[in-house]
Amino acid sequence: MAILILKRIGTMALMMLVVSLIVFLLLEIDKESVAVKVLGVFTTEEQRRLWLEANGYFEPLYLRYFSWLAGFVTGDLGESTVFRVPVSEILWPRLANTAILGVLAMLVLIPLSLLLGVFAGMREGSLQDRAISVVSIITTSVPEFASGIFLVAVFVVGLHLLPGTSTMIEGFDLTQLVLPVAVLVIYDFGYVTRMTRASMAEVMMTPYIRTAVLKGLPFRRVIVRHALRNALIAPFTVIMLQINWLLSGVIVVELLFAYKGFGTLLLEAALNGDIFVIEACTMVAVFVAVATQTIADLGYTLLNPRIRFT
Amino acid sequence: MSDTPWWKHTHPAVPELAEQLRDGKIKRRDFLRTATLLGVSATAAYTLAGRLTGETAIPRAVAQGSPKKGGNLRVSMFVKPVDDPAISEWSETGNLARQVVEPLAQVGTDFVTRPYLMESWQASEDLKTWTLKLRQGVKWSNGDDFGAEDVAFNFERWLDPATGSSNQSRFAGMTHVVTKKDAEGKDVESRVANEGAVEIVDAHTVRLHLANAELAVPESLGDYPALIVHRHFSDEGGDLSKSRVGTGPFELTDYAVGERAVMRRREGQHWTGDVYLDQITYIDTGGDKSAEIAAFASGQIDINDRTGVEQIPAMQQIPGLIVHDTPTAQTGVARFKVTEAPFDNKKLRQAFQAAIDHARILDLAYQNNGIPGEDHHVSPAHPDYAELPPLKQDIELSKKLLAEAGYPDGIEFDFVCVNSPQWEPNTCQAIVEMVRAAGFRLNLKVTPGETYWPRWDDWPYSFTSWTHRALGTQVPNLAYRSGGVWNESSYSNPEYDALLDQAGGTIDVNERIKIMAKLEKILQDDAVITQPFWRSVFVTTTEKVKGFAVQPSLEHHYNKVWLDT
Repeated sequence: MAILILKRIGTMALMMLVVSLIVFLLLEIDKESVAVKVLGVFTTEEQRRLWLEANGYFEPLYLRYFSWLAGFVTGDLGESTVFRVPVSEILWPRLANTAILGVLAMLVLIPLSLLLGVFAGMREGSLQDRAISVVSIITTSVPEFASGIFLVAVFVVGLHLLPGTSTMIEGFDLTQLVLPVAVLVIYDFGYVTRMTRASMAEVMMTPYIRTAVLKGLPFRRVIVRHALRNALIAPFTVIMLQINWLLSGVIVVELLFAYKGFGTLLLEAALNGDIFVIEACTMVAVFVAVATQTIADLGYTLLNPRIRFT
Repeated sequence: MSDTPWWKHTHPAVPELAEQLRDGKIKRRDFLRTATLLGVSATAAYTLAGRLTGETAIPRAVAQGSPKKGGNLRVSMFVKPVDDPAISEWSETGNLARQVVEPLAQVGTDFVTRPYLMESWQASEDLKTWTLKLRQGVKWSNGDDFGAEDVAFNFERWLDPATGSSNQSRFAGMTHVVTKKDAEGKDVESRVANEGAVEIVDAHTVRLHLANAELAVPESLGDYPALIVHRHFSDEGGDLSKSRVGTGPFELTDYAVGERAVMRRREGQHWTGDVYLDQITYIDTGGDKSAEIAAFASGQIDINDRTGVEQIPAMQQIPGLIVHDTPTAQTGVARFKVTEAPFDNKKLRQAFQAAIDHARILDLAYQNNGIPGEDHHVSPAHPDYAELPPLKQDIELSKKLLAEAGYPDGIEFDFVCVNSPQWEPNTCQAIVEMVRAAGFRLNLKVTPGETYWPRWDDWPYSFTSWTHRALGTQVPNLAYRSGGVWNESSYSNPEYDALLDQAGGTIDVNERIKIMAKLEKILQDDAVITQPFWRSVFVTTTEKVKGFAVQPSLEHHYNKVWLDT
C-alpha cells in the first residue's frame, strides 16, 4: 500500500511539473505581453524594457522557467497586478473561503444525495424512484445562475427572509451562506443521486442480494449490511470529482452572491490579466484535481477488494 | 468708497462676461461656469447672475430636512488599490482616496467648479499665471498644518516624468519636452517641469506659471488624480493605503482590495463644518450587477457607485429605492482610423454618417436616457457648445455616397468593441443593424477589455467610451488634434488644430462659441466619428440617504450626506 501511495504521489508530482511547464509557456513565453500586463497598457516601451531587465526576463527561457518554478515551490508566487500585494496574501484566504462554502455544500449534498439515491435504487421503477429521478433531472438541468436568481427573487426580494449577498462585511454570518449553499446543492445533488441510484439498482440485481432476500433476512438488513457498501463505491468516486468541480463550479455562485472566494479571484484575475494570480490559481486548481483523483483511486482500492493497483 | 462694482476687481474678462449676460448674449449657465473658472466664487457668481437676469439662483438643492448625525453609509463599489492618487486610473480609486485626501478645487453637482482646499484662485489676463490662495487652518490628520509646501510638493511629483501621473498632461503648459537617449541609443522624448513653474509666494499662496494660456486649470485641479497628499508622502512610501495621512473628514481603518474599505470619521471638527456620517463602508459586490440589486433588496447597502441603464427597471421595482440621474458629457464614439483604407475615403465615411439615426440609437441602446450626439464631440452641456443643424438619417443618400466611394454593392468590415459595460455592445449592435440597410455589412467583434484596451487606439474601426469633461475643447485637444496623445482616429487637420488653439485662448464665451461652431462643423463634415448620444448617469440610493445628488463625474461628495434612520 505504501508503494502504491508513493507511486501515486510521484505521478502527481510529474503531472504537476508538466502542467507547470504548459502554464509557464502559455503565459510567459511572450515577455512583452507580461510587461504590458504588469505595468499597464499606457506604459512606454522604455519602462517595459527596464522592468523586464530588472526581473530577469532577458535570461534564456529554460533558466526563467526554473527560476519561476523555484519561486512557486518556495511560496514566492509573485505580486498581483490588480491587488498590488503578494499573491499568497490573497490566494490562501480566498481558498479558505471557498473551502468553507464547499464543505457546507458537501455536508448537505452527500447525505441528501446518498439517501435519495439509495431510496430510489433499492426499489427500481417504484413511485419513489420515479419521483426522485424526475426531480434530480430537473434540478441538474437548471443552471446555477438561473436557480440563484430564482431563489433570490423568492427569499430575498419576495419574502425578505435571507440576505441577498454574502460579502461577510460584518464578519462571518452563516445566514449569508444559505443561498449559495442551496444553489450548489440544488445543482449538484441530482447528479450524485442518480449515480447512487444506478449503482444501488445494479447491486440490488446481483445474485447475492437475491440470495439474502430469499434467505428471509429483513429488507432493512439486506440494504444496510449487504447492498450499501458495494453500492457506495461508484458514488465515492463521483463525490471526489465533485470537490474538483466545486473549485471551478463555484465561480458563478460566488459572483452571483458577491462571495469572495477562489472562484471570483480566478475570474477577476482572468478578466484583468493578473498574470501571477492566474498562474497560482491554475496550479492550485490542477493540484486539487490531481489530488482528489489520487484520493479517489486509493479510496476505490480500499472499498473494492476486486481492484488492486500494482 | 468707489462706485465700481466689486466684481470688476476680478479677472478683466469678468465684467465683460457680466455685461454679455445682462444683455442676453450668453446663457446664465455659461456665465457661471466661465466666471468661476476665472476666479469668481460660486456664491458670488450665482448672486451676480441672479441680480443681472432676475432668475432665482439656486444650485441643485440637496437639503432634505434636518440632518442627523451618525450612521454607517454602505456603498457598493469596486474596491481597487488605493496607493498613489497621482497615478490613479480609475474613478473608483479616486472616490476611495477623496474621503482621506482632498483636492484644491471641486466640480459640484451643478457643474460649477469651486475652490476646495483653496480659498480662491486668480488668473492673469493672459491666462498664463494662476495664483492659488490656500485655505488657512486646515490640519492634516497627523497634526501638521496644510500649506503651500504641500501644494508645491504635489506639483513637483505630478510634473516629474518618473511619477507617471496623468496630471503631467493636465498641466502640460508647465512642462517642456526633452530628448534623451535610451539604453539602445535611440532618442526618447519626455516632458519635464519648466524652471520656476511652481512658485511659493507665502505659506498659503502658490503661483503657477504656464507657458501657454489655459482656462481649464481649476477643472484640472478638481480631477481625481489631483488629490493633495502630505508633503512627506513620498518619504513615507508613497502609498496612501499604508501612509494614511490626509486632510479629509475620514480615515481609512480597514481595507482589503476586492472586498471592502472602511472609513471612520476623524476626531474633531472638519474644516467644512459638520460631517454627519460616522462611517462609510465601501463593499465590493463584484461584477455581477444582480448581486447589487439583491444587496439593495435585503438592505445590505444604502447607495451604489453607479447604476447601469439596464439595471434601472429592476431598481425601480424594489420599494424604498430612488434612482437619481444627471445629464453629462459622457459618451462613446465609433471612430474610423482615417489613415487606413478603406476609411481614408471621406465619401465612405460620409455615407456611413448618412445611414445613422442618432435619436433612434439613443432609444434602442440607452432607453432614451440622454441626448442625441452630433458627431463632433462637443456637448450641449459644455459652455462653449455651438448648435449646428441636426443630422438626419438618409438611407438613399448613404447608398449614393457609398456607390460614389467605389462600393456600389456595399462593403463589409469588422467593428470592434469592448464587452462591458453593457450599453457599449448594445449601442454597437444597434449601429450594425441600422447601417445594414445602406449596404454596410459590419462584423461586430465584442471583445473582453483585456483584448480591447491594449489596442484601443490601433483598431481600424472601433467604439470607445469617453468620460465627462467640463469644457468643449478638452476632449478635441486629446482626441482629434494632430499627434494628440489619445488621437485614436489619427485625424490630422491643421485648420482644426489652429481653431483649437484659438478657442483655448479665448475667454469671451460668444467668441469661443463662434470658433467652436467652425471646429464642430469640420469634424462633422469629415465624418471621423459616429457619436450616437450623450448619456445621463445614474446612482441608486435607499430613501434613508439624504443630502445626496449625482456629480457628473460620479465623484463621491459625502461630507453633507446623512442617514435618516
